[in-house]
Amino acid sequence: MAVQNIVTYPDPILKTPCPPVENIDAAVQQLVDDLVDTMHAGPGSVGVAAPQIGVSLRVCVIDVSKNRHGKDNNHGLLLMVNPEILVRSGSAVMREGCMSVPDYTGDVERATELTLRYSEPDGTVREFEASGFEAVAIQHEMDHLDGMLFLDRISSLKTGLFRRKSYK
Amino acid sequence: MNDCRKANLAHFAVTIIGKDRPGIVADTSEVLFRVGCNVEDSSCTMLGGEFAMILIVSHEKPFSKKKLEAEFAAKNMGNGLSAFIRTLKDDEVCYREPVGELCLVSVYGSDKPGIVYRITRELADRGVNITDLNTKLIGSPAQPVYVLMLEAALPQGLSVEDASHLLDNLKQELSVEISVRLITPVSL
Repeated sequence: MAVQNIVTYPDPILKTPCPPVENIDAAVQQLVDDLVDTMHAGPGSVGVAAPQIGVSLRVCVIDVSKNRHGKDNNHGLLLMVNPEILVRSGSAVMREGCMSVPDYTGDVERATELTLRYSEPDGTVREFEASGFEAVAIQHEMDHLDGMLFLDRISSLKTGLFRRKSYK
Repeated sequence: MNDCRKANLAHFAVTIIGKDRPGIVADTSEVLFRVGCNVEDSSCTMLGGEFAMILIVSHEKPFSKKKLEAEFAAKNMGNGLSAFIRTLKDDEVCYREPVGELCLVSVYGSDKPGIVYRITRELADRGVNITDLNTKLIGSPAQPVYVLMLEAALPQGLSVEDASHLLDNLKQELSVEISVRLITPVSL
């Protein structure tokens, strides 16, 4: 077990795009293990990205199988090195929160269907399709790899629905 | 910040309202900045043709409400903005956020008196804590439509289905549409 501390904003690593993993070596495998341990230690956490534990590399882990939004539609524990989104479609808004930005939540619009490619920690390249909450979680974690926070994607103020475009 | 405020700070609730124009927020925050107040929480919006600001501000003690009132009076003279300031007691600045499931209730239908009252009374009697609410009168003068949207934290033991069921009888009585859905944030 190597549960790491979660880095919180304003640590600059969270706003820094991560470089890809060049070689999947023992250090990367250790990083994946740490990410999984850290995810399991966070109450209700469904994913952690490497920069959230202070490592600027394109690695993240996701598991929505125990979450009420994801339990009926998931691929279990995903260990993703150098993940890429090949196709995205659909859209839905969810109110998101993030361990790296405590005490704040906001409505974010995300694609609901993804086709992804990534490397497993053993080097196997895998392609698969994700949808629903799992797709939302993947996009949130992959945003961390690009130095993006959900704060950069908030789609509306809570009352936005009511604003008239103009007053006559 | 949802922990207790520091003891060395004085807190005030500031309400500003006036006919909408560009610059109300800038004018207000300029006064606050100059006197050294921090804006801790705020919510500002257009209501009809008015712009309304509600802010919780803090300042290092000692600091009096009179000082802030005088600054606003000088700045707002003749510009149509009214300012109201209230000193917050220590127990008002320590608060606990509601912990239950968060739901969004939408209510809409032909305008009639009592929509807000009946809906919110029903919720209040079951311990539902409203965290955000806004209403709008839309449609035409001949056919006014009332829209009410609110977000509320449900108490322990009350599900979204329960809350929905709770409001069912008001649908017919007020002839309005009511829907309740879960919007509890997802932790990622």
